[in-house]
Amino acid sequence: MSGVQVSIEALNECQIQEVTLDGQEIYVQPLSMSDSLSKLAHKIDFHRDECETKGKPTSEGDKEEEEEPPAKNAVFQPSLWPWDNMRTKLKMALTETSVLLDVLKIVKEKHYMVLDSVSIDQPEAKPGFFAVAKKRALNSAVSILSNGAERLRKSQEQAAKRTTPNFHYELLKLRSKWRLKKVGTTILGDLSFKSAGSRFWQSGTFEVTKNDLMPSDFKEGAPAHTVRSPLQVHIPSELESVAYIQVSIRHTQEGCEDLASADLQLPNSLPGSIPSDTPWQRRLETAQNVIFCKEVFVQLAREAVQVKSPLPHLVIGNQVFSHLFPGMQLCIALCHSIDKSRQSSIRPGPKPDHNQVLEHSLHQLVRELHFKNSYHPMPHPVSALLGVSKKRRNAGPQAFSRTELLDMTHSESMLEQIIRQARHFVVRTRTLDILDKLSEEITDLQIASHWCNLSSALESMVKVNITFNGYETFKALFALHICVDKIRVVMKDGRVINLSYEPQELNDFILTQVAHHHICIVQALAKLMGWQLLTSNSHIGVGEMEPVGNVQSIMLASPLGNRVIAVRSGPFSGVHVHVQKTPDVDTIRELHESKHVSLAEKWEMLGGPFHKVHLDKLEGRNFVNKMELLMACLSSERTDTF
Amino acid sequence: MPQSCGGRSLNTFNILLTLLLLIRVLSYPVPEGKSGQQTVEALQKQIEVLGATVSSNFTVDCETYGTYQQTSQPQHINILHNSEQPATCFAVLDSGNCLVADLQFDALMNKIKMFYIQKKNARVEAKGLRYEYGDFIIKVGSVVLGQSTSFKGVIVEVEYMPAVVVSECFGLMREFMFSFMPTSVIDATTNHWKTKNDAIYAPQDTVLQYLEHFNNFRKSAVSMMPPMQ
Repeated sequence: MSGVQVSIEALNECQIQEVTLDGQEIYVQPLSMSDSLSKLAHKIDFHRDECETKGKPTSEGDKEEEEEPPAKNAVFQPSLWPWDNMRTKLKMALTETSVLLDVLKIVKEKHYMVLDSVSIDQPEAKPGFFAVAKKRALNSAVSILSNGAERLRKSQEQAAKRTTPNFHYELLKLRSKWRLKKVGTTILGDLSFKSAGSRFWQSGTFEVTKNDLMPSDFKEGAPAHTVRSPLQVHIPSELESVAYIQVSIRHTQEGCEDLASADLQLPNSLPGSIPSDTPWQRRLETAQNVIFCKEVFVQLAREAVQVKSPLPHLVIGNQVFSHLFPGMQLCIALCHSIDKSRQSSIRPGPKPDHNQVLEHSLHQLVRELHFKNSYHPMPHPVSALLGVSKKRRNAGPQAFSRTELLDMTHSESMLEQIIRQARHFVVRTRTLDILDKLSEEITDLQIASHWCNLSSALESMVKVNITFNGYETFKALFALHICVDKIRVVMKDGRVINLSYEPQELNDFILTQVAHHHICIVQALAKLMGWQLLTSNSHIGVGEMEPVGNVQSIMLASPLGNRVIAVRSGPFSGVHVHVQKTPDVDTIRELHESKHVSLAEKWEMLGGPFHKVHLDKLEGRNFVNKMELLMACLSSERTDTF
Repeated sequence: MPQSCGGRSLNTFNILLTLLLLIRVLSYPVPEGKSGQQTVEALQKQIEVLGATVSSNFTVDCETYGTYQQTSQPQHINILHNSEQPATCFAVLDSGNCLVADLQFDALMNKIKMFYIQKKNARVEAKGLRYEYGDFIIKVGSVVLGQSTSFKGVIVEVEYMPAVVVSECFGLMREFMFSFMPTSVIDATTNHWKTKNDAIYAPQDTVLQYLEHFNNFRKSAVSMMPPMQ
């Protein structure tokens, strides 16, 4: 055969795995026979319905298996046979069994095929290499950790050493306490209570700038100059300086005399601008307080205009006046010294006293309002209206009546609540004053008052004991429930007396109790001493009238019947004691001397006139002691006879 | 008769009585020209003479829904509203089981139109004046049935607020009612309290009594209707 030799060389039979940098090609090694067989065997899907293999329990299994992948997509016609479904299932089962049989044959009878385990090259274990790799990895981890530790130590050392604080460090501190955000190149912060539920319009935005430590570098426009801190806060001018809410209770007729007295919130100085070199934390807190006070006042002023009351509330300038009781008013003022001239016009004359308790409860009320704004009860079911309280939600299924529903809608404004608290405060203070005054004035007996420590802003209770020193077994007891604008007295026997807010009523009541106690204790004493009770009258109609209340009296006869003691006790006229002697020696002597009348002996036992006993000249610690001595003295006296 | 003492108690107790005007017309000869409205007015006047004061109006209305399917025994749901419990809707089954629900239950009834349809001309309404007299609340109203505004009867409700158990105050209430109504009417109360005389009052007791009377009114209205030609 002559001709052109054609040499055929297979092109790259093997796939190129990698081309190294020097142009050398690394090939993928061709598969060995066993590898390719196992690879092909992986491709066989034994579960497929191979129609052409039906009923062929052939022994040429390996060939067939290699031909399988191009599966013939038999077009199934919808069969009309009733058992068609069953037939296909059976066919499938037959196919699978025959394939299984083939495989078993192949495995068992060695002349078809020999199964050989596929050897996969195990990477050679190189202990030395592993050790080196581990060491290297550990080294890198150690270096990262030690670097970090070093940096931490350095920063701590710096922080400890730092005499001039760093701007970023300060910013970090600021960020941990205040809300900050970055807008463009400026850092803005927020002082307002909006995130806490406030709906006050005033925004409390402040700006944070870096302060160059050299004072000469300051720009002219900078409002405040902090010398120490590298961080500077710019607070809006309307929030500068100090503000507070002043709550005071005043007597309207007597000018500025105050019932309640307490120190001012800022006792050292009048509200004025805070010095420029104060730390930013304090400046921000003060500015936030200004916002808070403004919100309180604006809320109160709005309610003062809206809320209807018999005597309208007044809003004058930065003060809200509301009427508490006749001659007494509550004054809530916003003190904010934005400019000096206005401040001086507001507070002429002596500084009115500030009621810290009411101011605190005012703050509490505002916080409650904020809480209510920010936390709504979840709607239930989810599709229901938002903001319906749980009580209102249950009103339907629990069949609330009309009055209950009306009560539910009634809500009290902040001003009304603070007025109620102020009223209670006034009534409580008055009660306290009356009790103090009376226990000071009445020295003969002890008026001890025990205040209950479980009290609320609208109700408190005091128990009053009236006793004589040395005779504590006999005591007059009553409890005073001090409500918003009245005092309820619960007596020892369960009687309830309602007193109004007027202090005079309580005063009269206690005096009556004292007068009554005198009579009671004399009666008890008489029982002990063996004296006989002749009469006891709680409302006697003779003698001088008392301005308020009734005079009570008691008459006692001595065990022998020859002496009578009459005690008269009135709330204002005090206690009077009279003694009658029987027989009255002077009268009988006169009658005997006149000789006009003949006297039988029995008439000598007639009582004579009563003689007044000067209690202040008697021996004894107090009234009861004196009475005891008097009774003892009179019981031992024998009747003078002729 | 007790005078007013103290505030309202939460739990109240009602006794419901009716003056079925139709029956009275049949039983007693009423003077010619005296309408139902006049009867109501006469009763109201008598109560006012006692010294009671008008506090407001009252309304009790009842809608009836029936099952859609005609195959089985028809079943009904009665939806009632009482102005005394303005936020509540009462649903009463034929068996007498009462569901106390929110007002939105009405909307739910619209959703299940497929199963229950509203019966036409089955709306009963009692409207009138609410009187207060010390611890008593007296309601005198006229009953109107269906679309027509024609007068069907008089309904009287007396409530004694301090009590919660019927058996303990029935004598007192009976005596009170006697001052403006004849005894025969007072003793013909509903069957409601016969079984639960010692139970504690709940608002659904009032509604169930109203329903019982409304059903009576309906029956009498049907019997009074002229036969269809």
